[in-house]
Amino acid sequence: MTATWVQVLAGYLHLLAVAVYVGGSIAMEFVLGPAQSYVPPAQAQVIGQRSADRFLVLVWGALALFPISGLLLFFSLADQQKLSGMQFFTTRYGQTLLGMIVLWAVLVVNGAVITFVLRPRLAQRASAQGGGAGVTQRLEVMQSAIKWVSLITRIDLGIAVFIVLLGASMAYGDGIL
Amino acid sequence: MRVVLGFLFTLAWVVYLGGALAMELVWRPVQRDVPPSQTGAMCQWMGRRYRWIGLGALGLVAVTWSGWRALGSTVLVASSPDIPAPPPAAVGWSVATTVACWGTLVALVLAMGVLLHPRSHARWRAGADSATAAAARRRRLRAIRVMGVLLRVELAVALSATALVLVSAGPRLGWAA
Repeated sequence: MTATWVQVLAGYLHLLAVAVYVGGSIAMEFVLGPAQSYVPPAQAQVIGQRSADRFLVLVWGALALFPISGLLLFFSLADQQKLSGMQFFTTRYGQTLLGMIVLWAVLVVNGAVITFVLRPRLAQRASAQGGGAGVTQRLEVMQSAIKWVSLITRIDLGIAVFIVLLGASMAYGDGIL
Repeated sequence: MRVVLGFLFTLAWVVYLGGALAMELVWRPVQRDVPPSQTGAMCQWMGRRYRWIGLGALGLVAVTWSGWRALGSTVLVASSPDIPAPPPAAVGWSVATTVACWGTLVALVLAMGVLLHPRSHARWRAGADSATAAAARRRRLRAIRVMGVLLRVELAVALSATALVLVSAGPRLGWAA
Protein backbone atom coordinates (compact mmCIF):
# COMPACT_ATOMS: atom_id res chain seq x y z
CA MET A 1 0.00 0.00 0.00
CA THR A 2 1.27 3.43 -0.85
CA ALA A 3 1.29 6.24 1.66
CA THR A 4 -1.73 7.74 -0.13
CA TRP A 5 -3.82 4.65 0.43
CA VAL A 6 -2.76 4.46 4.04
CA GLN A 7 -3.87 8.09 4.41
CA VAL A 8 -7.23 7.39 2.80
CA LEU A 9 -7.79 4.27 4.90
CA ALA A 10 -6.71 6.00 8.11
CA GLY A 11 -8.84 9.07 7.33
CA TYR A 12 -11.85 6.89 6.55
CA LEU A 13 -11.54 4.86 9.74
CA HIS A 14 -10.97 8.00 11.82
CA LEU A 15 -14.06 9.67 10.39
CA LEU A 16 -16.10 6.48 10.81
CA ALA A 17 -15.09 6.27 14.48
CA VAL A 18 -16.09 9.92 15.04
CA ALA A 19 -19.40 9.29 13.23
CA VAL A 20 -20.19 6.24 15.36
CA TYR A 21 -19.33 8.08 18.58
CA VAL A 22 -20.83 11.53 17.96
CA GLY A 23 -23.62 10.74 15.48
CA GLY A 24 -24.51 7.52 17.27
CA SER A 25 -24.68 9.28 20.65
CA ILE A 26 -26.93 11.99 19.23
CA ALA A 27 -29.23 9.37 17.67
CA MET A 28 -29.35 7.38 20.91
CA GLU A 29 -29.84 10.41 23.13
CA PHE A 30 -32.24 12.49 21.06
CA VAL A 31 -34.05 9.95 18.86
CA LEU A 32 -34.09 6.44 20.34
CA GLY A 33 -34.10 7.51 24.01
CA PRO A 34 -37.14 9.82 23.96
CA ALA A 35 -39.04 7.39 21.68
CA GLN A 36 -39.05 4.85 24.50
CA SER A 37 -41.64 6.92 26.33
CA TYR A 38 -44.16 5.79 23.66
CA VAL A 39 -44.12 2.17 24.88
CA PRO A 40 -44.99 0.69 28.30
CA PRO A 41 -42.23 1.20 30.93
CA ALA A 42 -41.32 -2.51 31.22
CA GLN A 43 -40.88 -2.79 27.45
CA ALA A 44 -38.99 0.54 27.39
CA GLN A 45 -36.54 -0.86 29.95
CA VAL A 46 -35.89 -3.95 27.81
CA ILE A 47 -35.45 -1.83 24.67
CA GLY A 48 -33.19 0.61 26.52
CA GLN A 49 -31.04 -2.18 27.90
CA ARG A 50 -30.66 -4.02 24.58
CA SER A 51 -29.99 -0.89 22.56
CA ALA A 52 -27.47 0.35 25.14
CA ASP A 53 -25.71 -3.04 25.12
CA ARG A 54 -25.36 -2.91 21.34
CA PHE A 55 -24.35 0.75 21.31
CA LEU A 56 -21.69 0.21 23.98
CA VAL A 57 -19.99 -2.33 21.68
CA LEU A 58 -19.91 0.32 18.93
CA VAL A 59 -18.65 2.96 21.37
CA TRP A 60 -15.76 0.78 22.55
CA GLY A 61 -14.92 -0.07 18.94
CA ALA A 62 -14.85 3.65 18.10
CA LEU A 63 -12.75 4.48 21.16
CA ALA A 64 -10.25 1.79 20.12
CA LEU A 65 -10.25 2.99 16.52
CA PHE A 66 -9.46 6.63 17.43
CA PRO A 67 -5.82 6.08 18.49
CA ILE A 68 -5.16 3.37 15.86
CA SER A 69 -6.42 5.41 12.90
CA GLY A 70 -5.06 8.62 14.44
CA LEU A 71 -1.54 7.19 14.67
CA LEU A 72 -1.83 5.81 11.14
CA LEU A 73 -2.95 9.24 9.92
CA PHE A 74 -0.22 10.98 11.87
CA PHE A 75 2.61 8.86 10.45
CA SER A 76 1.20 8.61 6.90
CA LEU A 77 0.97 12.41 6.72
CA ALA A 78 4.59 12.57 7.92
CA ASP A 79 3.51 14.89 10.73
CA GLN A 80 6.01 13.40 13.19
CA GLN A 81 8.54 16.08 12.23
CA LYS A 82 6.15 18.61 13.77
CA LEU A 83 6.44 16.92 17.14
CA SER A 84 10.14 16.18 17.58
CA GLY A 85 11.64 16.94 20.98
CA MET A 86 9.55 19.21 23.18
CA GLN A 87 7.35 20.40 20.32
CA PHE A 88 4.54 18.25 21.70
CA PHE A 89 4.21 20.77 24.52
CA THR A 90 5.45 23.98 22.97
CA THR A 91 3.79 24.16 19.53
CA ARG A 92 0.10 24.81 18.88
CA TYR A 93 -0.09 21.62 16.82
CA GLY A 94 1.43 19.57 19.64
CA GLN A 95 -0.75 21.16 22.31
CA THR A 96 -3.89 20.50 20.25
CA LEU A 97 -2.94 16.86 19.77
CA LEU A 98 -2.13 16.55 23.46
CA GLY A 99 -5.51 18.06 24.33
CA MET A 100 -7.24 15.54 22.05
CA ILE A 101 -5.37 12.64 23.65
CA VAL A 102 -6.24 13.81 27.19
CA LEU A 103 -9.92 14.21 26.27
CA TRP A 104 -9.92 10.80 24.61
CA ALA A 105 -8.59 9.35 27.88
CA VAL A 106 -11.47 11.07 29.72
CA LEU A 107 -13.93 9.42 27.32
CA VAL A 108 -12.32 6.02 27.98
CA VAL A 109 -12.56 6.51 31.76
CA ASN A 110 -16.20 7.65 31.51
CA GLY A 111 -16.96 4.71 29.20
CA ALA A 112 -15.42 2.32 31.72
CA VAL A 113 -17.48 3.85 34.55
CA ILE A 114 -20.70 3.42 32.54
CA THR A 115 -19.85 -0.12 31.35
CA PHE A 116 -18.42 -1.63 34.52
CA VAL A 117 -20.03 0.37 37.35
CA LEU A 118 -23.35 1.87 36.30
CA ARG A 119 -24.65 -0.62 33.71
CA PRO A 120 -24.49 -3.62 36.09
CA ARG A 121 -26.54 -1.60 38.58
CA LEU A 122 -29.15 -0.93 35.91
CA ALA A 123 -29.27 -4.60 34.96
CA GLN A 124 -30.26 -5.61 38.51
CA ARG A 125 -33.71 -7.10 38.90
CA ALA A 126 -35.92 -5.84 41.71
CA SER A 127 -36.63 -9.08 43.55
CA ALA A 128 -38.60 -9.70 46.70
CA GLN A 129 -35.38 -10.66 48.51
CA GLY A 130 -34.89 -8.40 51.53
CA GLY A 131 -38.55 -7.46 51.62
CA GLY A 132 -40.13 -4.15 50.63
CA ALA A 133 -37.21 -2.12 51.94
CA GLY A 134 -34.78 -4.15 49.77
CA VAL A 135 -36.86 -3.53 46.65
CA THR A 136 -37.11 0.19 47.41
CA GLN A 137 -33.37 0.37 47.99
CA ARG A 138 -32.63 -1.37 44.69
CA LEU A 139 -35.00 0.90 42.81
CA GLU A 140 -33.26 3.92 44.35
CA VAL A 141 -29.88 2.53 43.24
CA MET A 142 -31.26 2.02 39.72
CA GLN A 143 -32.74 5.53 39.59
CA SER A 144 -29.44 7.00 40.70
CA ALA A 145 -27.56 4.93 38.08
CA ILE A 146 -29.95 6.11 35.33
CA LYS A 147 -29.32 9.73 36.32
CA TRP A 148 -25.55 9.25 36.30
CA VAL A 149 -25.53 7.41 32.96
CA SER A 150 -27.59 10.20 31.40
CA LEU A 151 -25.33 12.91 32.86
CA ILE A 152 -22.06 11.20 31.85
CA THR A 153 -23.42 10.44 28.35
CA ARG A 154 -24.21 14.12 27.79
CA ILE A 155 -20.83 15.21 29.16
CA ASP A 156 -19.15 12.67 26.84
CA LEU A 157 -21.10 14.02 23.89
CA GLY A 158 -19.94 17.56 24.71
CA ILE A 159 -16.34 16.37 25.05
CA ALA A 160 -16.55 14.47 21.74
CA VAL A 161 -17.89 17.54 19.92
CA PHE A 162 -15.06 19.61 21.43
CA ILE A 163 -12.56 16.99 20.20
CA VAL A 164 -14.01 17.40 16.69
CA LEU A 165 -13.49 21.16 17.06
CA LEU A 166 -9.87 20.59 18.13
CA GLY A 167 -9.39 18.20 15.20
CA ALA A 168 -10.83 20.78 12.81
CA SER A 169 -8.52 23.46 14.20
CA MET A 170 -5.59 21.10 13.58
CA ALA A 171 -6.69 20.07 10.10
CA TYR A 172 -7.81 23.46 8.79
CA GLY A 173 -5.65 25.79 10.86
CA ASP A 174 -2.58 25.74 13.08
CA GLY A 175 -4.26 24.08 16.04
CA ILE A 176 -5.66 25.22 19.43
CA LEU A 177 -8.81 26.66 17.88
CA MET B 1 -13.49 31.04 9.27
CA ARG B 2 -11.77 28.01 7.76
CA VAL B 3 -11.78 26.23 11.11
CA VAL B 4 -15.43 27.06 11.82
CA LEU B 5 -16.58 25.88 8.39
CA GLY B 6 -14.46 22.74 8.60
CA PHE B 7 -15.78 21.99 12.08
CA LEU B 8 -19.43 22.48 11.13
CA PHE B 9 -19.00 20.48 7.93
CA THR B 10 -17.38 17.55 9.73
CA LEU B 11 -19.90 17.71 12.58
CA ALA B 12 -22.88 17.72 10.21
CA TRP B 13 -21.51 14.79 8.24
CA VAL B 14 -20.69 12.65 11.28
CA VAL B 15 -24.12 13.38 12.81
CA TYR B 16 -25.78 12.18 9.61
CA LEU B 17 -23.54 9.15 9.07
CA GLY B 18 -23.50 8.16 12.75
CA GLY B 19 -27.27 8.45 12.97
CA ALA B 20 -27.69 6.16 9.97
CA LEU B 21 -25.20 3.69 11.45
CA ALA B 22 -26.93 3.70 14.85
CA MET B 23 -30.33 3.07 13.26
CA GLU B 24 -28.96 0.16 11.24
CA LEU B 25 -26.67 -1.42 13.83
CA VAL B 26 -28.61 -0.66 17.03
CA TRP B 27 -32.30 0.00 16.40
CA ARG B 28 -32.94 -2.49 13.56
CA PRO B 29 -31.70 -5.58 15.50
CA VAL B 30 -33.43 -4.44 18.72
CA GLN B 31 -36.82 -3.88 17.07
CA ARG B 32 -36.98 -7.54 15.99
CA ASP B 33 -37.70 -8.49 19.61
CA VAL B 34 -40.30 -5.76 20.17
CA PRO B 35 -44.03 -6.33 19.52
CA PRO B 36 -45.06 -4.78 16.14
CA SER B 37 -47.56 -2.35 17.67
CA GLN B 38 -44.88 -0.91 19.97
CA THR B 39 -42.31 -0.84 17.18
CA GLY B 40 -44.86 1.10 15.13
CA ALA B 41 -45.43 3.64 17.91
CA MET B 42 -41.70 4.20 18.40
CA CYS B 43 -40.93 4.27 14.65
CA GLN B 44 -43.61 6.88 14.05
CA TRP B 45 -42.05 9.28 16.52
CA MET B 46 -38.44 8.42 15.62
CA GLY B 47 -39.10 8.81 11.90
CA ARG B 48 -40.46 12.31 12.37
CA ARG B 49 -37.56 13.44 14.50
CA TYR B 50 -34.87 11.67 12.48
CA ARG B 51 -36.19 13.24 9.26
CA TRP B 52 -35.48 16.73 10.62
CA ILE B 53 -32.08 15.77 12.04
CA GLY B 54 -31.11 14.13 8.72
CA LEU B 55 -32.29 17.02 6.56
CA GLY B 56 -30.74 19.58 8.93
CA ALA B 57 -27.38 17.79 8.83
CA LEU B 58 -27.45 17.48 5.03
CA GLY B 59 -28.46 21.14 4.76
CA LEU B 60 -25.54 22.17 6.96
CA VAL B 61 -23.21 20.01 4.85
CA ALA B 62 -24.36 21.90 1.73
CA VAL B 63 -24.07 25.35 3.33
CA THR B 64 -20.60 24.79 4.80
CA TRP B 65 -19.36 23.11 1.63
CA SER B 66 -20.60 26.05 -0.45
CA GLY B 67 -18.88 28.36 2.02
CA TRP B 68 -15.63 26.54 1.39
CA ARG B 69 -16.12 26.79 -2.34
CA ALA B 70 -16.73 30.54 -1.96
CA LEU B 71 -13.50 30.85 0.01
CA GLY B 72 -11.71 28.97 -2.77
CA SER B 73 -10.47 26.40 -0.29
CA THR B 74 -10.36 22.64 -0.20
CA VAL B 75 -12.28 21.05 2.63
CA LEU B 76 -9.78 18.69 4.15
CA VAL B 77 -10.03 16.03 6.77
CA ALA B 78 -6.32 16.39 7.43
CA SER B 79 -3.63 17.90 5.30
CA SER B 80 -0.25 19.45 5.18
CA PRO B 81 -0.06 22.94 3.64
CA ASP B 82 3.10 21.80 1.84
CA ILE B 83 1.23 19.22 -0.23
CA PRO B 84 0.41 20.55 -3.70
CA ALA B 85 -3.20 20.97 -4.79
CA PRO B 86 -4.78 18.06 -6.68
CA PRO B 87 -5.07 18.28 -10.49
CA PRO B 88 -8.22 20.05 -11.82
CA ALA B 89 -9.61 16.81 -13.33
CA ALA B 90 -9.49 15.12 -9.93
CA VAL B 91 -11.18 18.15 -8.36
CA GLY B 92 -13.95 18.14 -11.00
CA TRP B 93 -14.61 14.44 -10.54
CA SER B 94 -14.55 14.86 -6.81
CA VAL B 95 -17.06 17.75 -6.92
CA ALA B 96 -19.39 15.81 -9.24
CA THR B 97 -19.27 12.74 -6.99
CA THR B 98 -19.94 14.77 -3.87
CA VAL B 99 -22.89 16.62 -5.37
CA ALA B 100 -24.37 13.39 -6.78
CA CYS B 101 -24.08 11.59 -3.43
CA TRP B 102 -25.52 14.55 -1.54
CA GLY B 103 -28.45 14.80 -3.97
CA THR B 104 -29.11 11.06 -3.65
CA LEU B 105 -29.10 11.25 0.15
CA VAL B 106 -31.48 14.23 0.21
CA ALA B 107 -33.80 12.43 -2.23
CA LEU B 108 -33.74 9.28 -0.09
CA VAL B 109 -34.45 11.15 3.16
CA LEU B 110 -37.30 13.06 1.50
CA ALA B 111 -38.75 9.90 -0.08
CA MET B 112 -38.73 8.16 3.28
CA GLY B 113 -39.81 11.13 5.40
CA VAL B 114 -42.50 12.62 3.18
CA LEU B 115 -43.80 9.64 1.21
CA LEU B 116 -43.10 6.27 2.79
CA HIS B 117 -43.12 7.10 6.49
CA PRO B 118 -46.65 8.58 6.53
CA ARG B 119 -47.84 5.63 4.41
CA SER B 120 -46.35 3.11 6.82
CA HIS B 121 -48.44 4.59 9.66
CA ALA B 122 -51.62 5.23 7.69
CA ARG B 123 -54.85 4.20 9.41
CA TRP B 124 -57.97 3.09 7.57
CA ARG B 125 -61.41 4.25 8.62
CA ALA B 126 -63.36 2.09 11.08
CA GLY B 127 -66.26 1.75 8.66
CA ALA B 128 -64.13 0.68 5.69
CA ASP B 129 -65.04 -2.62 4.02
CA SER B 130 -62.65 -5.57 4.20
CA ALA B 131 -61.30 -5.09 0.64
CA THR B 132 -60.38 -1.45 1.36
CA ALA B 133 -58.78 -2.39 4.68
CA ALA B 134 -56.80 -5.21 3.02
CA ALA B 135 -55.58 -2.88 0.28
CA ALA B 136 -54.56 -0.28 2.86
CA ARG B 137 -52.73 -2.96 4.87
CA ARG B 138 -50.89 -4.11 1.73
CA ARG B 139 -49.85 -0.52 0.96
CA ARG B 140 -48.64 -0.11 4.50
CA LEU B 141 -46.58 -3.30 4.46
CA ARG B 142 -45.11 -2.38 1.08
CA ALA B 143 -44.12 1.07 2.42
CA ILE B 144 -42.42 -0.55 5.43
CA ARG B 145 -40.57 -3.02 3.18
CA VAL B 146 -39.41 -0.34 0.74
CA MET B 147 -38.34 1.89 3.62
CA GLY B 148 -36.23 -0.95 5.07
CA VAL B 149 -34.44 -1.31 1.72
CA LEU B 150 -34.01 2.46 1.27
CA LEU B 151 -32.50 2.82 4.75
CA ARG B 152 -29.80 0.33 3.76
CA VAL B 153 -29.25 2.06 0.41
CA GLU B 154 -28.97 5.38 2.25
CA LEU B 155 -26.32 3.99 4.60
CA ALA B 156 -24.40 2.42 1.68
CA VAL B 157 -24.44 5.74 -0.24
CA ALA B 158 -23.32 7.67 2.85
CA LEU B 159 -20.46 5.24 3.53
CA SER B 160 -19.46 5.21 -0.15
CA ALA B 161 -19.61 9.01 -0.34
CA THR B 162 -17.18 9.25 2.57
CA ALA B 163 -14.78 6.81 0.89
CA LEU B 164 -15.17 8.23 -2.63
CA VAL B 165 -14.48 11.77 -1.59
CA LEU B 166 -11.45 10.75 0.44
CA VAL B 167 -10.07 8.69 -2.45
CA SER B 168 -10.84 11.28 -5.11
CA ALA B 169 -8.87 13.91 -3.24
CA GLY B 170 -5.76 11.81 -3.89
CA PRO B 171 -2.66 12.57 -1.85
CA ARG B 172 -4.34 15.66 -0.49
CA LEU B 173 -6.42 13.74 1.97
CA GLY B 174 -9.81 15.25 2.49
CA TRP B 175 -13.10 16.34 1.00
CA ALA B 176 -13.87 17.65 -2.44
CA ALA B 177 -12.49 21.01 -3.43
